[in-house]
Formats: sequence, structure tokens, C-alpha cells
Amino acid sequence: MEADVPHFPYDMKKYITLFHINWQNTLQYRFSLVIYIAGYSLYIWVLLYLWSAVYREGQTVGNYTLSQLTTYYLLQLIINSVIFSYISWDVIDNIKNGNFSNFLIKPLDYFFYWFTVNLSGKILEALFVMMAVGLISIVFWGYFAFPERFITLIYFLISVILGIVLAFELDFCVGMITFWLTQVRTFKYMLQTLILFFAGAMLPLDLFPDILIRISDVLPFKYLVFFPASLYLGKIDNPWPSFAALLVWILIFYGLARILLIRGIKRYEAVGA
Amino acid sequence: MRQWVPEFYRTIRRYLKLYRVFLSQNLKEDMIYRSNFITLVVMDIGFVSISVILFKIIYSHVNTIAGWTFHQSVILIGSVGIIREMAYLTFRRGFLELGSHIRTGTFDIFMVRPIAPNIHLAFRHISLSESLGESIMGIILVGYGISHLDQWSWINVFLYILFLLNSLMIYYGFSLLINSVVFWVIKTQELNTILYFFMETSRYPGDVFRGIGKVIFTFIIPIGIIATVPASILIGRIGWHFAMISLIIGISFLTAGLLVWKKSIEHYSSASG
Repeated sequence: MEADVPHFPYDMKKYITLFHINWQNTLQYRFSLVIYIAGYSLYIWVLLYLWSAVYREGQTVGNYTLSQLTTYYLLQLIINSVIFSYISWDVIDNIKNGNFSNFLIKPLDYFFYWFTVNLSGKILEALFVMMAVGLISIVFWGYFAFPERFITLIYFLISVILGIVLAFELDFCVGMITFWLTQVRTFKYMLQTLILFFAGAMLPLDLFPDILIRISDVLPFKYLVFFPASLYLGKIDNPWPSFAALLVWILIFYGLARILLIRGIKRYEAVGA
Repeated sequence: MRQWVPEFYRTIRRYLKLYRVFLSQNLKEDMIYRSNFITLVVMDIGFVSISVILFKIIYSHVNTIAGWTFHQSVILIGSVGIIREMAYLTFRRGFLELGSHIRTGTFDIFMVRPIAPNIHLAFRHISLSESLGESIMGIILVGYGISHLDQWSWINVFLYILFLLNSLMIYYGFSLLINSVVFWVIKTQELNTILYFFMETSRYPGDVFRGIGKVIFTFIIPIGIIATVPASILIGRIGWHFAMISLIIGISFLTAGLLVWKKSIEHYSSASG
């Protein structure tokens, strides 16, 4: 039975179809995306005043210039919507309301199903957000730092692509918890906040006190925000060791996702029987 | 005039009575899911703690932000929490549900009841638990902040509470304005994202704004006054003229909100139309 089901790279076609369908679904949500971007722009605008006030008083924040700090938060807008995966909400629903049963008989791989859904949403969001960031950076001209070297942009792009994969795997694993925990939504909220905190989404990690920096160094979350943002700002000279570490994390979480899925299905069948 | 005063008094009394009935009903509902209640409170306390930690980290690099010390900023964070809980105890939940009421046509119910639609929408789901943890933390933080002030008086505390009510009025007026859009553009459920960013950014002192930003964030998007004015009054760093201006802004927002809401509601055509 299992042998009849071709796996991911060999049956790209249905995933491409899936990609198309979901692309159209995502298009329906463009208004909410616009609202989100508007809200976030407001946030950046307020932060710009906040940091300006700090720098006007002759103080500096770490080794950041005012424009680097502003850029850090503007990059966040890209990272939040392009890298971060939010499909675990759907995964949780899917498992909770029993629709997951349908997947057990479909010739689709559950992991790659959501990976495709996530990716197609991300690419569309990326287009929207890029336009928005372009617009905002024109408005805040002078407060937005551009990389000095072209290679920096390439590094940034690589880190974003790898970040999308890692973020998806993390999110998928969170979704898998549904098999074991009924209060998974609350758990997810708390976990999400911790992830954002240690990813550097709220404040650049190198501003943290030593102890927190050391904690964030052993966690994978900094590769989602702090690492790509630092790359863009040209604060990392040789990104290759970090890329290697990021790849290792991607492999670890791929393994974890697979183990959780296999165990989860066993548990799900036990409940459903 | 003689007719109008007792009429107004009766209306207020009627709404207070309705509020009591709705509140007790909602409290009972809250208490059914006791574990959920506790998780929400614990989660909120976690979220606020993270905000405080972030401010602590920022203040490890700077001494003041636009003249505000760490302990003064703590009062600001606390005030946002208290205002949020006041909003959940009066109107906030209703707006979160408004989008789906309009989309599915259940808003009809609000149109035919012998009670103003905005009041009914507000009171229907009063939520004690939604932001309770944040307000508990809020009161603790404000208390902690006060204990580190050089001087304070009970008069300031009294005025602080008075101006918190004014902020609630601003928040309500602003919510009415934003949510009125829903009657014109039916698809929008995410308008409350803007209100989320609105309250999040209110944690920063309004004194950071300069020039055009000062005007916009005082009179149009009142981020700069909603928490800053009450907190400034408590600290005693605000002049009478600005306090008076913020009262006028409060009344204006409420009036404008109610007028626009009234106009927009006429635009409502049920779901089957």
C-alpha cells in the first residue's frame, strides 16, 4: 500500500495544483493583509519617533545608529509575513474537527501538503509586503539603511528562504501538539510569544543582557529574525557558519516533525477507533 | 430642558440596570470554563511581564525616553493594561464580533431590540477574563511605579482614575470610528488589528512625538494621549491646559464616533439582500 504512494519530489504535479488553488484562496485575504500592513506601518512610525527621541537626547542604543534601528523594525514587517508560518492554526483545526481523517486516505503527504499551502501563501504575501516596504521606505527616506554591498542582499535572500523552511517546521511541530494536548491554542500563544522574544522580533538580540543572549544562542529562533536582519544591516562578515547551523536546525526539525507526525497518527487512530 | 434632564437620567439608569444583568450573565459563562479563565489570566501576566522586561532592556541602554524614567514608563505600561480591561468590561468584545454579525446577517437582532445597537453590541459579551491578568499586573505596576516616585498625592490618584475614564471614552470613540467602516466594506474582519496596534503603541510616552506627528498622534490617532495623559497626571508632569485639551479630545471622539456610527448603521442591509 505504502509503496504505491509516490513521495514528494516524484509527484510534484499535484503539489503544484495545490499551490495554485491556495494561491487563489490567499488572494481573497488581501484586504486583511492591507489592514495588517497599515497597522504595522503605524507601529513603525511610532517607533521612529520613539528612537528619534532617544537619540535626540544624545543617547545611543547599543551599537545601532538611528537608521539601523528603524531598518531593523521595517525588516520585521517583511520577516513577520514572509518568514513566519501561521498554518498551525489550520493544522490545529484540521486535527481537532476530525478532517485529518480524510488525509489518511489521500495520496498526499501531510507535511508537504501544509508546506505547499504555506509556501504559496508566503509568496503572495511577499509580493504585497515588498510593495508596502518599498512605499514605506520612500516615506521614511533617510531613516532606512540600504546595504552597501550587493552580496549582502543575496545573503539576506538566502537567509529568508531558509528561514521560511525552519519557521514552517517549527510551526508544523506546534500544530502536531494537537494530538496530545486539547488546550493547544493557549499553549501556542505562549510559545509564539517566547519564540518572538528569542527570535529578536521585539528588540534586537544584541541589546539583551548577556544571560539572555546566551540562551538565545542555543535556541534556533534567532535564525528567524535577528540573523536575517543582522545580515541585511551588514553586521555579520562571514555568514557561512551560521548558514550551516541553520541547515542543521532545519534537518533536526524535519526529523522532529516526522517523528511527531508518525506518533501523532498512531495516537489519533487510537482515539478514533 | 426640564423634560430632557429626567429623560436622560432614566436612560442612564436603564442602561446601568441592563449592564448589571448582562454582566452577571457573562460572569456565569466565564466561570463555567474555570481552567480557561485561569490560563487566560496567567497568559496575560506572562505577556505583560515580557513588555516590562523589554522596557527594562531598553532602559539598560538609555536613562530616559523623552524625559520618562523606567519607573515612570512602568506606570504607562500598567495604565494600558487597566484601560484594556476597562474596555473589555464595557465594549471591546462586541467589536471583535461585529464583523461576523454583519457578514452572516445576525446583526439584525441588534436592530430590532429596544436598546441602542451600539450599547447592546457592547454589553452582550462583557468579558472579565479576557484582560483580567493584564489589569492585575497593571495595578501592580502602577503601584510599583508610584512607590518609586519622589512625591505623589491622593488627589493625583483620583485625577488619574478620572482621566483613565476619559481615555476609555477616547478608546470607545476611536473604536466606533474604525468599526463603522464594516458597514461599508463588508469583508473586513481585521479592522481590530488596527486597534490592537493602537493600544500596543500607546505604551510609549506621547512626549516622543514632534511636529506633524504630535498633531496626528494627539488629535487623529490619539496614541500619544490615551495612556500618557493619565500617567502624566499621576506623575505630576503635565500642565492643566493639556489635561483640559485631552478632555475635549475625549468628548470629541465620543461624539464623532457616535455620529459616524449612527450614519453607518443606516447603511446596513442584512445578509440576504
